[in-house]
Amino acid sequence: MESASLLPVAFEVALLVGALLLLLVAVVAERKASVWGPLVGVTFLLSAVAGLWQWMDVADNGGGLFFSSQNFAIVRSPMVVMDEFSALAAMVLGTVGFVSFLGSWDLQSRLGKRGVEFSVLMLLGVAGLHMMTASPNLVVIFVGLETASIAFYILAGFTRKTRESDESALKYFLLGSLASALFLYGTALTFAATGSLSIYGANSIRNFFADQIVTDPGILLVGLALMLVGLMFKTSAAPFHQWAPDVYQGAPSGAVGLMAAGVKVAGFAALARIFMGGMISQVDIWAPILAVVAALSMIVGTVMALVQDDVKRLLAYSGVAHAGYLLAAIVAGPEGLEALWFYLATYAFMIVGAFTVVSIVNGPGAGPTPISSLKGLASRSSETAWLMAIIMLGMSGMPFFAGFVGKVLAFVAVEEAGYLWLVVVGALTTVIGLVFYLRVVITMFSSETDDSAGVDSLEVSITSRFAVVIAAAVTLTFGVLPWPLLDFVRSAIPF
Amino acid sequence: MPVLTILIALPFVGAAIIGLLPRRRPEVVFPVAIGVSVAPLAVAIYLLAEYSLDGTTFQFFENYVLSERFGIAWELAIDGISLFMVVLTAVLFPLAIAASASVRDKLKTYMILMLVLEGAVLGVFLALDLLVFFAFFEIVLIPMYLLISMWGSDRRAYAALKFVVFTAIGSAFLLVGIIVLGILAGDAVGATSSFDWRVMLSMDISESTQMWLFAGFGIAFAIKVPLFPFHTWLPDAHTEAPTAGSVILAGVLLKMGAYGLLRFNLSLFPDASVDLAPVLAVLGVIGIIYGAAAAIVQPDIKRLVAYSSVSHMGFIILGIFAFTSQSLQGSVFQMISHGLTTGALFLLIGMIYDRTHTRAISDYGGLAKQMPVYAGIFLFSAFASAGLPGLSGFVGEFTILVGSYLTLPVLTIIAGLGVILAAVYLLWAYERVFTGPLNPKLEGLKDLSFRELAIMVPLVVLIIGLGVYPKPVMDRIQPSVEQIIDRLEGASDYQVPEFGRLTDVESVVGVGHEGGGG
Repeated sequence: MESASLLPVAFEVALLVGALLLLLVAVVAERKASVWGPLVGVTFLLSAVAGLWQWMDVADNGGGLFFSSQNFAIVRSPMVVMDEFSALAAMVLGTVGFVSFLGSWDLQSRLGKRGVEFSVLMLLGVAGLHMMTASPNLVVIFVGLETASIAFYILAGFTRKTRESDESALKYFLLGSLASALFLYGTALTFAATGSLSIYGANSIRNFFADQIVTDPGILLVGLALMLVGLMFKTSAAPFHQWAPDVYQGAPSGAVGLMAAGVKVAGFAALARIFMGGMISQVDIWAPILAVVAALSMIVGTVMALVQDDVKRLLAYSGVAHAGYLLAAIVAGPEGLEALWFYLATYAFMIVGAFTVVSIVNGPGAGPTPISSLKGLASRSSETAWLMAIIMLGMSGMPFFAGFVGKVLAFVAVEEAGYLWLVVVGALTTVIGLVFYLRVVITMFSSETDDSAGVDSLEVSITSRFAVVIAAAVTLTFGVLPWPLLDFVRSAIPF
Repeated sequence: MPVLTILIALPFVGAAIIGLLPRRRPEVVFPVAIGVSVAPLAVAIYLLAEYSLDGTTFQFFENYVLSERFGIAWELAIDGISLFMVVLTAVLFPLAIAASASVRDKLKTYMILMLVLEGAVLGVFLALDLLVFFAFFEIVLIPMYLLISMWGSDRRAYAALKFVVFTAIGSAFLLVGIIVLGILAGDAVGATSSFDWRVMLSMDISESTQMWLFAGFGIAFAIKVPLFPFHTWLPDAHTEAPTAGSVILAGVLLKMGAYGLLRFNLSLFPDASVDLAPVLAVLGVIGIIYGAAAAIVQPDIKRLVAYSSVSHMGFIILGIFAFTSQSLQGSVFQMISHGLTTGALFLLIGMIYDRTHTRAISDYGGLAKQMPVYAGIFLFSAFASAGLPGLSGFVGEFTILVGSYLTLPVLTIIAGLGVILAAVYLLWAYERVFTGPLNPKLEGLKDLSFRELAIMVPLVVLIIGLGVYPKPVMDRIQPSVEQIIDRLEGASDYQVPEFGRLTDVESVVGVGHEGGGG
């Protein structure tokens, strides 16, 4: 199916146009945050609407592959795919981008004229993230990954006057480039083994596996392994997670939300598309490997989070554990996709909300945030404390909060795929995880206040407040009534 | 009318009402909380009155499908067992809330948590869908954790965390078991999964699978009960919790474990239940003796009552796994009775703690002279807990012992020692606290206030009422218990011994009556 329409790339177009407009407006109004601020918000919302439009179009016309290139080696390899999978990714990324923009507004308005740059980077980063989910071509996926990564390297170091931020950015950049390189190398080896860079299409990896029996899988396995390592690094799955705590801790709190949420959504969506779209016939080879990595992530993330004294490090390690549950959903194969999307869509909001609370408490530009700075939050701003409690319980996987639904769905799918041991590991780590999430909650509600944190009631800006309210509302609503969202994400199968 | 859904919703609505109360008027929170906690009690009394005695076990059935594909339903019903658990819950919560007058700090949050806890507990006892059951079972942890860790005494953080970790590890196994069972049930009905308890009843599960699932469910419930050797969280949690927390923990939360064993383990895994019954019964008896022995030597009065719970819950486990109609009825009855008597003791300890701020037995002495009414009610509750004939504790323990003797005679004889030990630790504690010369530090203490009396009187009346005339309760418990025995006999090779089944309602009550008179 060919079309000259721009609909398949409407999401990226919306964000890029928004980013360009923003740069133009900034020339005359870079210090007037009230002028360019709304433009960013509207761009994010429009991009989400573009996703919805794509979704409806796919429902009517069935979606398809677009922008095929005629190439001497790769016959008509499509560059973009539009299906419910990519459309859902667009909606999730657009709304998560919007919420994290709200959450980081305190930081941006404080940055003066550099605030515009911050917003532009956010827009570009999200565009790159979506490219990872909407392309069947491994090279385009890589380009999307790099676009997003470079934007986030800069965001991590945005308050470069502080040493933590500097260190965080450098660490992220060095280790992140290594991961990108590994992914690219894996792409090359996969191409060497299969003769294709495309997941779908005439001469695709999928057809390669359908047509032939791989007798000598050495190069292919190395290629796949390298791609997997690259993506697991980006999504901070163990054992490639070591950068995350340092980077999250050092980066300005306002920037971490999008880094943590967006990359997880896009990384896991890309992983799911590569493995389920291209290599579903090889599920017996990759699923056991992913299962081991998933269990490792759950255990490492949970155990390490127990001993953290910094909220941002704690959230980073909890993110490692969450990567484990998400990987488990991929292990389950297509049956787990529903769980994967439900989990991603709700977790993304929770993590953005959590980092917004961190930036409310300790300032949006701050790096390290000891847990003790949350002491007495309930008496300083009881609303923030309650909302954060909802988000924490959501992350911990307590029933009636969205995290529970995602986890149970994933566990059901994993058990059906025959990995009972992984369910046991998942259930036990969930329980142990409760300890550190409850520690955050109880710290907020404890009577003593930290001297350094102050005892005055906390000023919460309307934008941050809005971001946290949305995050908590998503956590609670889809925890009690998950059915509408479940029916929705259920159709998001990759092409 | 979906009366059970309304029952579960009422406490949550109450919590929302309290949340919306104006911040500037903290004095209205307490009366409003009592008011809204009485609403579920009214519904519970309505259920008690309307519960039909025609032999149908599950009544007030409600079923709304939540997810067709995953076989999840909002499925509620009440039978003779859950009926009394619901009534017990609805009775104890208003009393516990009324006993919380000494809470000053963050009263609003406290009341919201209490009401959320009540709603969740009611959900546990009413849900027939295993996933919904699990959701309520698990969420109970959170308000209880916060109640202990925010309003508890000195070692509250440690005790609260221990409580959460122990019970949550149990529920991890429970969740895995439910998922495995749900997928098996899904295969049976041709869906992804099904969590309907009734679908699961109709399944034929292989014995080895039953063993594993029994273990998964059993660990969760055994920790909650708590069964020896999983009991170590209980003394800490009970001791450090605020008064209302202890009352609810002992009175209601422990019953969730016994209820889970009765409702799920026995019916869903009959073969495994029969095979493993000796193990559990032995652990129950160890709990009886160990709990009682530990209670004797406790220097802390609250800890003493906590250990007495371990002992009393051991009786319930023995009764459940003796598999006779009488022993099961006795267990359910003892669940009610233990909730009332231990609830009364914790309330009384809370009242004296509010005055003296000490729980050490050695700090007391001769209190009966200073607070005669208090001493009288305490002695009454201690007698009830120790199983004095004519009071509810006797009916429960005696019925358990009679029923268990038919299948487990040796264990039952050993368990009988627990009754004697109970008298030892309770009366010795009474002696040290209330008799002898008055400790000078206790001079000037006021006897029970009208509010405190109003809290204790309902419990006293119920304890006497159940002790003298248990028939109405037994009549309602019996059909549900018989159904469990039927299931055991039908699905495994277990045969109830002679006299172990009393299809004649009158003779069952006869057992209780003889006891009551003797």
